[in-house]
Amino acid sequence: MSDFWDRYGRSVSICHRLPPVLKLALAVSIIVTGVAIPVRYWPAYGVLGCLVFAGHSIAGIPLGYLIKRLLIFLPFVSSMAISLPLSQGLDRGWDLMLQIMFRGCLAFLVSLWLVNVMPFEQLLVTLRKLKVPSVVVAILAFMYRYVFVVWDELDKMRTARKARSFSGGSLWFRWRTLSQMIGMLLIRSLNRAERIHGAMCSRGWDGEVRWLDDQD
Amino acid sequence: MHIQDGYLSTSVCLATGAVSLGAVGYSLHRMKDLLGERTVPLTGMMGSLIFAGQMVNFPIGLPVSGHLMGGVLAAAILGPWAGCVAVTLVLVAQWALFSDGGLLALGANVLHMAVLGSIGGYAVMTTVRKLLGGRFRGAVAGSVIAAWLAVLAASAVFCLEFRLSYAASNFDFGNIFTLMVTLHALIGVGEAIITGFVVSVIYQQRPDLIDMAQPVDSTVASSASRFAAAGLVCALAVAAFAAPFASALPDGLDSVAEQFRIAASAESTSGLFTNYDQIPIAGWQKLSVSVAGIGGSLAVFAAAVLIGRAIPMNAPVIATEATGE
Repeated sequence: MSDFWDRYGRSVSICHRLPPVLKLALAVSIIVTGVAIPVRYWPAYGVLGCLVFAGHSIAGIPLGYLIKRLLIFLPFVSSMAISLPLSQGLDRGWDLMLQIMFRGCLAFLVSLWLVNVMPFEQLLVTLRKLKVPSVVVAILAFMYRYVFVVWDELDKMRTARKARSFSGGSLWFRWRTLSQMIGMLLIRSLNRAERIHGAMCSRGWDGEVRWLDDQD
Repeated sequence: MHIQDGYLSTSVCLATGAVSLGAVGYSLHRMKDLLGERTVPLTGMMGSLIFAGQMVNFPIGLPVSGHLMGGVLAAAILGPWAGCVAVTLVLVAQWALFSDGGLLALGANVLHMAVLGSIGGYAVMTTVRKLLGGRFRGAVAGSVIAAWLAVLAASAVFCLEFRLSYAASNFDFGNIFTLMVTLHALIGVGEAIITGFVVSVIYQQRPDLIDMAQPVDSTVASSASRFAAAGLVCALAVAAFAAPFASALPDGLDSVAEQFRIAASAESTSGLFTNYDQIPIAGWQKLSVSVAGIGGSLAVFAAAVLIGRAIPMNAPVIATEATGE
């Protein structure tokens, strides 16, 4: 699953070697510029778009991957944007809809670039450098560690459900089954959290997060 | 449900970000007091669970499918403060892993799902539970109603932010409000049903988890307090949907937008026409919002009763022994 999420995060390019804070600042500034530029200066959008595509190609992210991700993203952005002309009786709102969709896609591509040149571990280190409270970073690190375990557990439960062919039935029944699955997953996860907490305590955990780089 | 970058203007993003930062900062402070050294494993595990739980697709009989959002669920297990932090970090991780939801819009997303969902949802949940008498049905009904109202509140707040973002353009924001709130009244029913089922399963297996997060005295509620609970929920539903009738909210929005228009001193004439345009369909708007409100309220009440009945308290306990570490 990690392979799908940040597939190109561990490849090597100039973009990957940039200092992490600079990457974050670059992405934020391009997104802010994209949202702030009024639509009548449309050539500026062309420049930004070229910049973003240049960034992607330098980072070695293939076009096919971008298109695939954009195809997943487009229904979301358009379903919300279409509500504008829809609510205005279809005679106004198209320009604002296009504007929102264009800005949304631009910001999405920038985020995608950042995700693919900055692995999650690096983001955590960067957040630490930016003085984010260490407990927040520790929770994020814990989440990243265990989301794969929880996902695995969910996958096992899904397989078990399929094997027992619990796929039919009324909608109400299916919702009940699926919700019960989430509920059981929650209980198992909390049991696991309690066991992990016990293991952490036995290794001297006192609630204080210590990082290796604190020592120097 | 995630807002992407580009919907809201930069200033609105910054303002919502500041509000969210304050709320999450306060939650962090409170959470560490309450959970102590259990903070990291408990909150982190809840975050991973919501993350994974959001990927379970619920069929709705159409090509699209729905999923859990989880703000109220997190608050039901962890309490409002840790719940808020858990949902916030889920949103951060979703942005950092999927680029799902924008970076600038993160503040708005946190405000909608973590602050309104967990802290607001918890307030509704405990109030309903206290009035209904604490035990199983109170817990389920509280979470069902809180989940529905949280989704509704998020959509209303989004409309407000949207309006502030495009204050200078000649739009009929009343219509957008109608469309968004009507749609989310339906989406909220889905969220309410899922949350209610999940909470009822947890209450059978581990009632201590929910009783710990929502401390409540075990005295059986009198019929008077049940009556009061029903009254409270009716009042909440009316408060949510009386707005279009009293047209207090749209008027308030109009005046805010008017001030922005004067400040911008642009398009000062086009603003006048929007109000005239609104008149012929004003009746339709109010009707549709209240139909959605009444229908939604009824559906949520039915869900609360049905989920409470569907799984009786003395159902056989399924073994919950997890696999080894």
